[in-house]
Order: sequence, then structure tokens, then C-alpha cells
Amino acid sequence: MINLLFFGRLGDLAKDAPTCIASSGLDPTPLTIRQLMMAEHPELAEALSEPQVLVSVNKMVVKWDQPLFNGDELAFLPPVTGG
Amino acid sequence: MIVSDLVCVQSDDFSLADEYQRLSNINSRVGAVVTFCGLVRDFESSAGESESTKVVNYLTLQHYPGMTENLLEDIVTQAKARWDLVAVTVIHRIGTLAPNDQIVFVGVASEHRKEAFDAAQFLMDYLKTKATFWKKLTAEGKEQWLDAKLSDTDAVVKWNKDSHDQC
Repeated sequence: MINLLFFGRLGDLAKDAPTCIASSGLDPTPLTIRQLMMAEHPELAEALSEPQVLVSVNKMVVKWDQPLFNGDELAFLPPVTGG
Repeated sequence: MIVSDLVCVQSDDFSLADEYQRLSNINSRVGAVVTFCGLVRDFESSAGESESTKVVNYLTLQHYPGMTENLLEDIVTQAKARWDLVAVTVIHRIGTLAPNDQIVFVGVASEHRKEAFDAAQFLMDYLKTKATFWKKLTAEGKEQWLDAKLSDTDAVVKWNKDSHDQC
């Protein structure tokens, strides 16, 4: 399984989205998982497609085509607003 | 990051006096301590709504546990690579905060003042655009996630430019 985390406003849009997804089958990447969301969570998928949204795997920022493996933690990060 | 540095993400408040004491007493090389403390404002201007100003009820700070601490430690390491610093403290609060509450602390101890001033500003500029915190504003009874500010991104671009100029 790949664990999914959504932060900031993405978390509000992801209230009904899955918190994990099977890693078997297609070679999963952040991009393919975003595309999977399109059918059942179109509003969330659209927000994830905004160019400022970054993805991290196991707490490291990665590219959208990074291969994912069983047990990975994938997080979707909108622009940060700390300080 | 070495033992004398401190990075902390916490819901509890912090004491400016205690943090200053820690930095100023680290060792006798310390000749300058610069501290910055950010507070929650009681107003928020949103550019998207024709510069309207809202009265803030409170802010809720979310972060990505584990990743935030890693990023803050990385920013401290970068500052220490750039300037000769004795010790650094970064504290960021999370949870629900009211206007006038302390939200962030950056403190730098060094031998001379210039390094401490510059590093404190660098740390705040980087923290604003890199560290995984998100602010939800409750103003006039309505909730809204805050957008990142372009001016914050510009501040980091300036540091990158400065480092190229030094090469």
C-alpha cells in the first residue's frame, strides 16, 4: 500500500478521498495516482494539478514521475505559508 | 546542525527571555545575539479582494511532522555554511493561535553583529517559503487557507542572487 497525505486546503478537498492506495498493478507514480483521483474526486484532482503543488515521498520533495513502492508515504503539498 | 543548535515545532508558547539566555550563554565567543519574534496580526489584507482588510479571530497552523523538522534543520545547516555562527534557534508554533500570540522565533548567536543580523533574516526568508507549514485564517467568522505571498518568494530569490554575486 501507498499512504496518501493531503495538506492545507488540499486536506479539506480530500475529506472523502482514500488515505491509502494499492501499489500493485500499474507502476504507480504521484502523477498516475493524481490521474486515478480524476474519476471519483475531480475537484481534488484539479486542485492537485495546479502548478504550485509539490509532492514528497517519505518526506523528500520529488518529481511527479517518481516511481512509488509498497509502504511509501506520498504527500501533496500546496504552497507553504509559515512564519 | 550541532548540539548548540535548536529546532523545535511545538504548540506551547516560548519565552523570549529564556531563548536569549540560552544563546547568550552558549560560550564566551558570543559577541552578538539577534532575535526575531513573529506575532499573529489582528488584520489580514487579501490582495485578491481589492485590498480588503479583515479582522482576524484566530489562525490555525498545520504542519507535516517529521518533514518540517528536517527542512528547518536543513535551513539552519545552510545558514551555518554561509556565515560563521556560534548557535541558532528556530521555534515555530502550531495549532490555534490568537492575535498577538507569538508564532515564530529565530535567534542567532555569533562573534560579530553582521553575521547574526544577516543569518536571522536569511533563516526567516527561507522558513517562509520552504518549511511545511500552512495557515488557516478564521476572520469575521469565515475560514480560509492563506495563499503564499509573492514578496516572500522574491526575498529568497534575492539570497540566491547574492550568493551568485559572491562567486
